[in-house]
Amino acid sequence: MTAVALPDAGARRFDERFLRKLETLELAIRRASGAQARGIRRSRRVGAGLELADHRDYVPGDDLRYLDWNLYGRLDRRALRLFEEDEDVAVDVLVDASRSMGTGAPSKLDLALQVGAALAYVALAHLDRVAVPPLADEPASLPPQRGKNRILSILRFLDQTRAEGAQPVSAAVRAFLGRRSSRRRGVAVLISDFYDPAGARAALDLLRGHRLSPIAIQLTAPDELAPAWRGDVRVRDVETGEAHDLTLSPAAVEAYVRRLSALRRELEAHCRERGFPCFTLVSDQPVESVVLRMFRTGGLLG
Amino acid sequence: MGFGWLISGAIPGTVVAAVAVAAGAAIVALHFVRLRRREVPVPFAALWLGLAGTAASLRRSRRLRHWLALALALGIFAGLLIGAVDPHGARVDPTGRSWVILIDRSTSMSATDEPGSRLEAARRRARALVASLAPADRALVASFAGEALAESAFEADSGTLDGAIGRVMATDEAADLPRALAFAAAVLHGRPRPTVALISDGGFSPDALRQAPPGIELRHLPVGRRGENVGILALGARRVPADPGVLDAGLTVQSFRTAPAQVPVEISSGGAVVERLTLALAPGERRSVALPDLFAPGARIEARLAAPDDLAADDRAAAQVPPLPRRRVLRVGDADLYLDGALLSLGPAVTVDRLPGSAADRGLQVAAEYDLVIFDGVTPSRLPAAGRLLYFDPRGPASPLAARGRLRDPVLDPAGLRRDHALLRHVDLGDVNIAEAGRLTPAAGDTVLAGSFGAPLIVARERPGLRVAVLAFDPRRSDLPLRPAFPLLIANALTWAARDGRPAPGPAGEAVRDPRESDTAPVATLQVGGHTVPHLEPGPPRRRFGIAVWAAGLAVLLLLLEWVSYHRRWTA
Repeated sequence: MTAVALPDAGARRFDERFLRKLETLELAIRRASGAQARGIRRSRRVGAGLELADHRDYVPGDDLRYLDWNLYGRLDRRALRLFEEDEDVAVDVLVDASRSMGTGAPSKLDLALQVGAALAYVALAHLDRVAVPPLADEPASLPPQRGKNRILSILRFLDQTRAEGAQPVSAAVRAFLGRRSSRRRGVAVLISDFYDPAGARAALDLLRGHRLSPIAIQLTAPDELAPAWRGDVRVRDVETGEAHDLTLSPAAVEAYVRRLSALRRELEAHCRERGFPCFTLVSDQPVESVVLRMFRTGGLLG
Repeated sequence: MGFGWLISGAIPGTVVAAVAVAAGAAIVALHFVRLRRREVPVPFAALWLGLAGTAASLRRSRRLRHWLALALALGIFAGLLIGAVDPHGARVDPTGRSWVILIDRSTSMSATDEPGSRLEAARRRARALVASLAPADRALVASFAGEALAESAFEADSGTLDGAIGRVMATDEAADLPRALAFAAAVLHGRPRPTVALISDGGFSPDALRQAPPGIELRHLPVGRRGENVGILALGARRVPADPGVLDAGLTVQSFRTAPAQVPVEISSGGAVVERLTLALAPGERRSVALPDLFAPGARIEARLAAPDDLAADDRAAAQVPPLPRRRVLRVGDADLYLDGALLSLGPAVTVDRLPGSAADRGLQVAAEYDLVIFDGVTPSRLPAAGRLLYFDPRGPASPLAARGRLRDPVLDPAGLRRDHALLRHVDLGDVNIAEAGRLTPAAGDTVLAGSFGAPLIVARERPGLRVAVLAFDPRRSDLPLRPAFPLLIANALTWAARDGRPAPGPAGEAVRDPRESDTAPVATLQVGGHTVPHLEPGPPRRRFGIAVWAAGLAVLLLLLEWVSYHRRWTA
C-alpha cells in the first residue's frame, strides 16, 4: 500500500503515521505466517478449492471429476477427494463503545479502535469482507467493506466512535446480532473491557450461537490495574451513574486488584474452554506490538 | 513558656476560658461538617463494592473513627492551650521562693576583666541561678542602671528566664541601686519568701548603700576581677569670640589603677586629631587639663584615651561646642570707619547700634542693655556707675580717669605691657605710633595694661557692676587701626566686658561621667543598710519540666500519632 492521504475526519486517531504502521504491520504478519496465510480465518467449507482437505467414499451422483483415480488404482477403493474451499470470510470487528471504554489514560477506546482498525486492515488485505459495527446504544452503520483500499472508509467510520454507550456488552452484542441480516459464518472480534454485571461470557456465547467464531480482546487501563486512590472517596460508575462512598485502605485496594485479576482469568478460562482466542491488553501498549503479538501467539491464523 | 511575655503578665482566666470554649466549639462544629469526598469515576463500580467488610461494620468503624478523631483534635487543642498558657508557670506556689534576679547593666558592667565582659559573666551567673531553682520557685528577671526594667514576668520556665537574661544589654548610665531595690520590693510584695539576687560589681555610692528594702532577703552574686582603669570624667569646650574656629577646652581624667600610669590622650574634631598629650597619673589621681586655642572647626570635639584598659566605655568622651553667644555693642561717636570695620569683623553674632557723639549721655543711660558701649572720642557728662564701657581718649571732668593734660608722641613701654590680661590677649602693641594721648591718672584698683614710661595708655577698671576700659588716646590719632591688633583689641574688650574671659573648663563642662562607674575595682562584700549582704552561690542545675512542657509534648505526640495513623492507613 502506498501512502494514503487521510481526510481531516480521520486525522485524530488515525493519521498518516498510523497508516504506515498498518502497512508495516501487514508485511510483518505476512512474514510471520508464511505464504499459507489466506486471511484471518480459512474457510472450513469443503468445495472447489485447490488444497486437499480429506477423502470420503464415493456415492452415486458425485462429481466424477473429484474421484481419486490413483487411490482407486492402488486400493480399488472409490473415494472422492475433498478440497478446502477458499472463500471470503465475513469478519466483524465489534468495538465496545460503552462509557467504561472511555476511562483510563490513555483511554481503552483509543487502543480498541486502533486494534480494530489494524485487524480490519489485515482482513481487507486478504480479501475478506470486513464490517466494523460499533457496540453502542445507537450505532451508526457502515456496510461490510472488501478490498484493501476500503480501509479509509473504515478508519473514517471508526474515528467517529465515541464512548457514550450505557448498555453492557452482552446487551450490545445481542442488539448487534438482532440487526445482523446475514446468517453466514464468520469471525467476530469482540474488543471490550468485558465489565458486564450480567457476565461478559454471555456475549461470546451469543456470538458462537450465531455461527460466528468469537475472538475476545479484553482491554484494561493501567490505572485500573494499580489504582492510586486512597482514603475516603466517592466511587461513581461511569455507565450506571451509581455512587458509593468508600474508604480505600491498602488492603481494600489489594482486594480490588485480586478481584479484577479473577475477572480477567475467568474470561480467559471461559475462552480457553470453548476454544475462543482471547487476548488481554493494557491500554498504554503500542498498537503495532499488540497486534503483532496477537498474530504471533496464534489464534488469529487458521 | 506561655504568652505572658506578650502582655507583661499572666493571661486572665476569663480570656483563657473564652478562647477554650470558642475554639472547642469551632473544632466540634467543623468535625460535624460532612466530609466532602473525592469523587473517582470508575468503569465498573461492582469491582469496588464490599471490599472492606460489611456495610454495618463499616458504619460502626467509621462512627468510631469519627469520634476518635474528634477526641484527638480536642486533645491536641487542649495540650497546645495548656502548653501556651502554662497555668503552673505563673501560679504562685506558697512553698517556693520568689526571686527577683536583678542584673546590673550600668557602665562599669562593660568592663572586660571577666571573659566576655562583666555583663556576660552576670548573665552566666544568672543562668546558673535559674538552672538551680527549685520546682516551686518563681523568678522574675530585671535589670537596672539609671532605672530598673522587668525583662520577664514571674516564671518557672527556665527557657523563658534564659531568654529574658539574654535580653539584658549594657548601657552608659550610672547604677541607681536604691531605685532598683525599690522596684524589686514592689514586684515582690505579697509573694512568698521574697528574695533579691543582686548580680553586680558593687560600684555604688555610700548613699546608695544606706538603706536596705525591708522584708526582703538580699543576696549578692559578685562579678569583676580587678580595677585597672583610667577614665575620662569630663570634657568641655567653648569658642573663642575673637576666632570662632578656635576652642578653649577642658578635660578631666582620673586613674583608678593601683600603679602610676602614663595615659596618652587624643583630642579630635571633624575626624582629625587636633591635639595629643600624655598624662602621667598617680594611682587614684584625678587631673583637670586646660586645652586652650584648639583649632576645631567642627561643632563637636572628642577625647580618647589611646591606651586600652578594662573599661572602654569611659575611654572616650565627646562634647558639643556651643555657638558663640549673641552680643550687643553700642558705638557712641561720629563716623569712624576703622572702628566700624573692627566691629564688623566680629561676625554676625555681634549686633552694633550707633549713637552720634552728641548723644553720649544717652549712651550711658542705655548701657545696661548692651554688652559693651564704646565712647569713640566722646565723653558723657557724668561718670559711669555701672555698665561695660570702653572709652577712647576720654576728656573733661566726667572722664572715668582724671586727665592731667596731654602727652605728645607717647612711646609704648614694652616692659609695661600686661600681655596676660584678657584685653591684650594676642594683641601686639610693640611698635604702635601714637600722635597724642591724654595724661590719665588711674584710681586705686585700676589696672594699667600699657603705658608710656609712667603715663598710662590703656587702663582696665573692674568694680561690682562696672567694667571700664580706657584707651588714653584716640586710635585715629595713631596707627593702631591699621594693625591687626586693633580688631583683636576690640574683640578682647567685648569678651572681657561680657565676663566671657578665658573659660574655666573642667568637671563642670559637658560629658560628665560618674566616677563610680569608672572605678571598676570590684566590691567583694556589699554592705547595705549596715548589714553585710551574703553571697549567693547557685546550686547544681535541676532538670525541671513544667506542665506546659508535658502538655505541649502530649500535643506533639498526638499529632504524630494522627499523622502516622493517617498516612499508614491504620484507621481505614
